[in-house]
Amino acid sequence: MTEPRTHARAHARARDRIRAAFAEAGVTGWLHAVDIDSGAQVDAGADHTVVTASVHKVCVLVALHQQAEKGRLELTEQAECPPDGRTPGPTGLSAMLDPARVSLRDAAYLMMAVSDNTAADLLLRRVGLEAVNATTRRLGLTRTHAVQTFGEFVATLKEDTGHAGPQALADPRVLARLRALDPASTNRSTPRDMTRLLAAVWRDEACAPQHSAAIRRLLSLQVWPHRLASGFPFDDVHVAGKTGSAPTLRNEVGVVEYPDRGRYAVAVFTRAASPAAILPAADAVIGTAAHLAVDALRS
Amino acid sequence: MAQPPLSQRIQRLERELGVRLFERSSRRVTITKGGTLLLDEARQLLARSEALMATARRIQDGHSGLLRAALSPDITGEMVAATLAGFQERQGGVELELHELPTAEQLARLASHDLDVGLIHHPCDVSGLELGPVLRHELGVLLPHAAPAARLETVPLSALSGYELILFPRAHAPAVHDDLLTTCARHGYTPAAVRHGHGSSFTRGLLLSCRAVAFGPRDAYDARDPDLTWRPLSGAPLAWRHSAAWLKGRGDAAVRAFADTVTDALGRTAAVGPDLPSGPTHLRPAAEYWI
Repeated sequence: MTEPRTHARAHARARDRIRAAFAEAGVTGWLHAVDIDSGAQVDAGADHTVVTASVHKVCVLVALHQQAEKGRLELTEQAECPPDGRTPGPTGLSAMLDPARVSLRDAAYLMMAVSDNTAADLLLRRVGLEAVNATTRRLGLTRTHAVQTFGEFVATLKEDTGHAGPQALADPRVLARLRALDPASTNRSTPRDMTRLLAAVWRDEACAPQHSAAIRRLLSLQVWPHRLASGFPFDDVHVAGKTGSAPTLRNEVGVVEYPDRGRYAVAVFTRAASPAAILPAADAVIGTAAHLAVDALRS
Repeated sequence: MAQPPLSQRIQRLERELGVRLFERSSRRVTITKGGTLLLDEARQLLARSEALMATARRIQDGHSGLLRAALSPDITGEMVAATLAGFQERQGGVELELHELPTAEQLARLASHDLDVGLIHHPCDVSGLELGPVLRHELGVLLPHAAPAARLETVPLSALSGYELILFPRAHAPAVHDDLLTTCARHGYTPAAVRHGHGSSFTRGLLLSCRAVAFGPRDAYDARDPDLTWRPLSGAPLAWRHSAAWLKGRGDAAVRAFADTVTDALGRTAAVGPDLPSGPTHLRPAAEYWI
């Protein structure tokens, strides 16, 4: 059972089932899953360049903690967040109306728990886009680049849809020209780069142990149940993750931990054929595919 | 490309253009303002050169080039004939190899460069594609003459509950298939069963032999059929949406001529326009973006 050839067959079988699950859900998907301790992996398009969208907030978080570790900032430092000029978004400070004051680490909490775009841009301004790229570069994520803030990302979406609201996404010609969906013109990575980042955090290699623990805590506080976590409906299995979304794009990267100490970094990026905003099957297949991959790694 | 030859090429290009494109320091390379200004022009030039190469490939053997094009299977015979005749008029020198292919297969062949242009069914994954105008064909319901709903002037989708639905195989265009069923559910019709079939005699047989209905545009229905009736749907909730499609940067004269031809041919029976939803579109917080 531990023969490498048996594993290779199991992983190839898992890959076929993952592709079938993506097709059934009406999406094209790219996945990489890795056993954090043994290095065994399942690869279904792991090196495909993908738009990260809010998944890039994990990189911002790691860069924030690396800077704190170097003494360049204090995580308890307070930041002012006036209501004007906030990055648009449906959650957190982006949705709040009154002047706010938060510590950097609480802004990080909002960025990870509810994908708060304003909190993310507040941190990005403090840390710097170049520092985020320096962080990912140092960790060996050669295919990962941040080229814009979350505000700039949302601004291209508004501009490319002609400020006509989400209805405009039903027009295939509008969809075909969205810069936000083109990895060459927005923040990007690969599934393999993202599992490498998560594995570094879980192995305390990205930062000192107390900083790594703080990052893991925030990834565990994400509120969304519909993607990665939906594939592991087991009370004794722990799921930590960060989603990312744009029209037709649904992503999540995270780590799944079993009570027998098995821990698996999984990155799933999908693109739906339908522009519909609400596609429960496309969200759920992220969990289904992750579960197929993790089961293959555990077999 | 290895670094030294790349740097040499860049330096040669800078000399040729007389413009400094990159700032170099020992640690990093950044694009200059001049470089940024030239970037757009350069990208357009590259796109045009791809179109040129596509045409060249097409005419490599002999004088008459070959255009590999496809129409989706739900297109009527008249439409196919109009396309063939219209293209001949526009681009007589180019030989047209016309295939009947479902949208999913057209997308795969466009991506693998085995198809130059197609007429695809929306919604589908349009990444990497350029599209012609989107044309909308309103759908009505085809039902046995004796069905109670056949006596209505226009049929609300909810009046079809209890009927099975005959629909094209999902693999042909998964998002069109799923979207249609979602819209039916939204308007109160969840078919007792979905039977997959295409081809008009097969569909006709199924319609007559069981309690089933099918959707189709008016011009796809034979008005002389004594057993079947076509009725518009109340509120026009369903439509086929087609457009010509080709790979970004590969739209040369022949591709565009085919795109114009099918758009014209379809336009005789369809409404032109992006067909945006008439109702609201509510993004939910889990969407993560707000536009």
